[in-house]
Amino acid sequence: MSHLTDLPVWAAILVCGLTLLGAAITLIGSVGLLRFTSFYERLHAPTLATSGGVILICAASIICFAVLQSRWVFHEILIIVFVLVTTPVTLMLLGQAALYRDRVKEKRGVPLKQRPPREEPTE
Amino acid sequence: MLSVFILAPFAGSLLAIFFPPDQRGATAWFAGAIALLCFLVAAGLYPFVTSGGVLRYDLAWLPELGLNFTLRMDGFAWLFTVLVTAIGVLVVLYARYYMAAEDPVPRFLALFLAFMGSMLGVVLSGNLILLAVFWELTSIVSFLLIGYWHHNAHARDGARMALTMTGTGGLCMLVGLLLMGRIVGSYDLDVVLTSGDLIRNSPLYMPVLILILLGALTKSAQFPFHFWLPHAMSAPTPVSAYLHSATMVKAGVFLLARLWPVMAGTEAWFWTVGLAGLSTLLLGAYFAIFQQDLKGLLAYSTISHLGLITVLLSLGSPLAAVAAVFHIVNHATFKASLFMAAGIIDHETGTRDMRKLGGLIRYMPGTAVLAMVASAAMAGVPLLNGFISKEMFFAEAIETHQANILDTMTPYGATLAGMFAVTYSLRFIHSVFYGKAPEDLPKVPHEPPRWMRAPIEFLVLACLVVGIIPAITIGPFLHTAVVAILGASTPQYSLAVWHGWNLPLIMSFVALAGGVGLYFLMRNYLATSIEGPPIFRLLHGQRIFERVLVTLSWKWARSLEQRLGTRRLQPQMRFLVFIAIAAAALPLLLSHYEMPPLLVRSIDPAFALLWAVGIACAIGAALLAKFHRLAALVLLGGAGLTTCLTFVWLSAPDLAVTQLLVEIVTTVLILLGLRWLPKRIEDTQESELLSLQVRFRRLRDFLLAITAGGGVALIAYTMMTRPLPETIASYFLERAYKEGGGTNVVNVILVDFRGFDTLGEIGVLAIVALTVFALLLRFRPQADSLEAPEQQRVQNAFDDDHPDRNEGDSVAEYLFVPSVIMRWMFPVIGMLAAYLFLRGHDLPGGGFAAGIAMSIGFILQYMSGGTRWVEERLRIHPLRWMSIGLLVAAATGIGSWLFGYPFLTSHAQYATLPIVGKFPLASALFFDLGVFSLVLGATVLILIALAHQSIRAPRAHARAMRSGKEAS
Repeated sequence: MSHLTDLPVWAAILVCGLTLLGAAITLIGSVGLLRFTSFYERLHAPTLATSGGVILICAASIICFAVLQSRWVFHEILIIVFVLVTTPVTLMLLGQAALYRDRVKEKRGVPLKQRPPREEPTE
Repeated sequence: MLSVFILAPFAGSLLAIFFPPDQRGATAWFAGAIALLCFLVAAGLYPFVTSGGVLRYDLAWLPELGLNFTLRMDGFAWLFTVLVTAIGVLVVLYARYYMAAEDPVPRFLALFLAFMGSMLGVVLSGNLILLAVFWELTSIVSFLLIGYWHHNAHARDGARMALTMTGTGGLCMLVGLLLMGRIVGSYDLDVVLTSGDLIRNSPLYMPVLILILLGALTKSAQFPFHFWLPHAMSAPTPVSAYLHSATMVKAGVFLLARLWPVMAGTEAWFWTVGLAGLSTLLLGAYFAIFQQDLKGLLAYSTISHLGLITVLLSLGSPLAAVAAVFHIVNHATFKASLFMAAGIIDHETGTRDMRKLGGLIRYMPGTAVLAMVASAAMAGVPLLNGFISKEMFFAEAIETHQANILDTMTPYGATLAGMFAVTYSLRFIHSVFYGKAPEDLPKVPHEPPRWMRAPIEFLVLACLVVGIIPAITIGPFLHTAVVAILGASTPQYSLAVWHGWNLPLIMSFVALAGGVGLYFLMRNYLATSIEGPPIFRLLHGQRIFERVLVTLSWKWARSLEQRLGTRRLQPQMRFLVFIAIAAAALPLLLSHYEMPPLLVRSIDPAFALLWAVGIACAIGAALLAKFHRLAALVLLGGAGLTTCLTFVWLSAPDLAVTQLLVEIVTTVLILLGLRWLPKRIEDTQESELLSLQVRFRRLRDFLLAITAGGGVALIAYTMMTRPLPETIASYFLERAYKEGGGTNVVNVILVDFRGFDTLGEIGVLAIVALTVFALLLRFRPQADSLEAPEQQRVQNAFDDDHPDRNEGDSVAEYLFVPSVIMRWMFPVIGMLAAYLFLRGHDLPGGGFAAGIAMSIGFILQYMSGGTRWVEERLRIHPLRWMSIGLLVAAATGIGSWLFGYPFLTSHAQYATLPIVGKFPLASALFFDLGVFSLVLGATVLILIALAHQSIRAPRAHARAMRSGKEAS
């Protein structure tokens, strides 16, 4: 961690700011996960962490290592891409599973009947 | 030169397999040529073994253990070699005509040659252990030969019994030979043969004697182990003629004769060997009279004659040993020809039952004459070879060797057995060739083909020539053999036909007259009676054998299983953990373990937090394991991730990468397995007071778990607080780049320094994967998890309700977005795997990590598209991948031999590819490729084992439902 002292001040401020911001967004997401009551609401909170938090922290990392090694660093972009692509899929699966389960149990507050996608004949 | 005797038959056996099944003639020519070659070589070696000469061939095998591939030929071994090869040639010629066109002759002859090779191995071994190896080979090959017609239940039973008996005996013999080698201090036969006094005076003499006798007596079918031989008669007749008259059963007496100089002469030897021999001689002859099956009669007579040889060897006198060797040769000639004659009769008439046969002399006069001469030799009629050795036997029986009751009984027993021998020989001839012509035979009898009879003619001629002019024909060879056994103490003996009027001659006449009389007294009874001697027929050797087997392998095994085994996993785990604790605690207690002082040093708060999360996850997983498996699994994953992060924190990126990948794969595989676990039985009496037993059980399990976990923690803590001793780590760190050509030390150790270990480990991994696959193949899920999961049922019902939808549409829609993403991930993951693989030698990664990563790609495909979808589109052959992996890894290792380096020596170099640039290309990379392929195959194999379960189970369920409906 001793490399960090080599970082110029402007970069250090930038990296710190981005990291803190990312951490804060992640924290908000986590608090949201804790505070929300229903499963469907809770689904939304962690996305803050996986989108905003990850992007900001990765940006901080890019700047930090790009400045330290004085070359462009792109590894973190891959991380951002994969996290952004996979998180919605996970959440979609979770949401659908919950929906199915609640429908079968006929819980209140859940849209009971799915609108079949090809209900209307074309003619 | 001696190695020809081993190499030629075994190589010939391998080649013979590849002959087309319909090429009877060509295969027989080939096998006959091999046997003839061996015979000629043996004949050519004769000058080297006369007057006590010994030929040796040494090849170091495991010289540190005193185990060498030593072949040794002295006069006695030479005699046996000639016997084995000469009769081998004749039997091949005979088998050429005997075997039917539809029998797979190449298989027969391949086994035959293999047997000849193993028998020659037994005879020529110059090392006790090597002898045991070939001994077992003869047992195994004879099992295959007896069971040649494996569609026949009798043949299978007979083969199994023969293998069980001779195999068990062989095992005892091996122990005996090991003990003997221990007494002598060497397994070399030359050394053993000169240390007779050492062996006889050793306190271990008795166990050695009993163990070796168990081997020899089971092999030679001596009482009370005789009963397997008659059942082995369901083998094709050439097999019986070869194995059960001339060679394999002779291996037992061969061993007795071979070890005769060092073991015989004691009272224990006399009693055990003599008692077994005499009872076999009498009982075998007596039983033979009452057989209705031609081959059964011959089998019992073989048993009896082997008993005769055993008695001779038991006497401990040199003259008796001469007679024993002589009788071995004589018996081989006349019994082989008799078996062949019986085979011809069976072949040409279609039956071997003496009650049905009769008057065959009118149809096959040539065969009749040959059989008559041979059985006269068996009966001991003068001017035939059987007579001379029997005379010698009688002469030796009269002599007093030890003053005890057994010795006094021997002459009477010998005469009685001689009488029986005459009776059954007469019966063989009279009931088959004379009397009224047979009716309703399956075939019209006629003479066999010219060359089918030729082997018998040759053997019968030998009987005659040896019987009339023994001193000129067999004399010198017999002398050579006897000198090899007896050495300086070779007695004076005469092979003359006429010794004047003496007691043995009178005994012979008594036996002849008595035997003829006995036959005519019993003729009518025998012609109609059922199989087996009176009274004794109630005592079935086979039934006793089977009862013993049932008791041993079924009843005892079952009761052991009931006492020790359990069908539940928990008791097994409990037992396992308990043993592990005990095994770990014992050395600690014995070495006065002291708990190291608890040290608290600057703890990084972030790290502590990480571990707090990890610990919470682990405890949560343990708590929830019973109530919510999915949650427990998720928490387990959390604990695993903590471990992974710890590795990163402590700068072990290799471990971290591997841990991460393994964590993912195991979690997914367990997730797939969760669906098959039985549902939880709801605790109905939760609120009520738990019984004391349940409380005790829970407390015990809890304590066990805490002890095990705490113990591991304690050991780890102790290890880490000790000062690190000088390890080999520095050695590896220093040499990884210099000699392994890689900077990733862990990987270099895995694929280079410890490559051999890795090869073994991937082998184990392959076995584990196959085992999982095999276990899951037979997996029958609980009734409550047979049905498709609830959600699938709801979706399918929805699809069924709507006519415009096919079954599975809902699932496809439901998974549409995820599955598209997962499919897109496949190439990405593939690239990640390639990346991990290529950088492995210098940076964290390697074949193992790459294999796991790649398998994640496959798992995703299965998850997104379903088993059928994937297997329609991708070629998934995990077994091939695994075998390719093993082969590539092994071939890389072998490759270094080409350059004259030891197995698995690695060579490192850098190569350049366009775009990618310079990358390290060590030969270890190919090894790593093997690891990659195997790990991938193993993981995917387990995956598809689970995946196919979900295809199979609903089908089985539907079937069960259907049959249930039909029943009701």
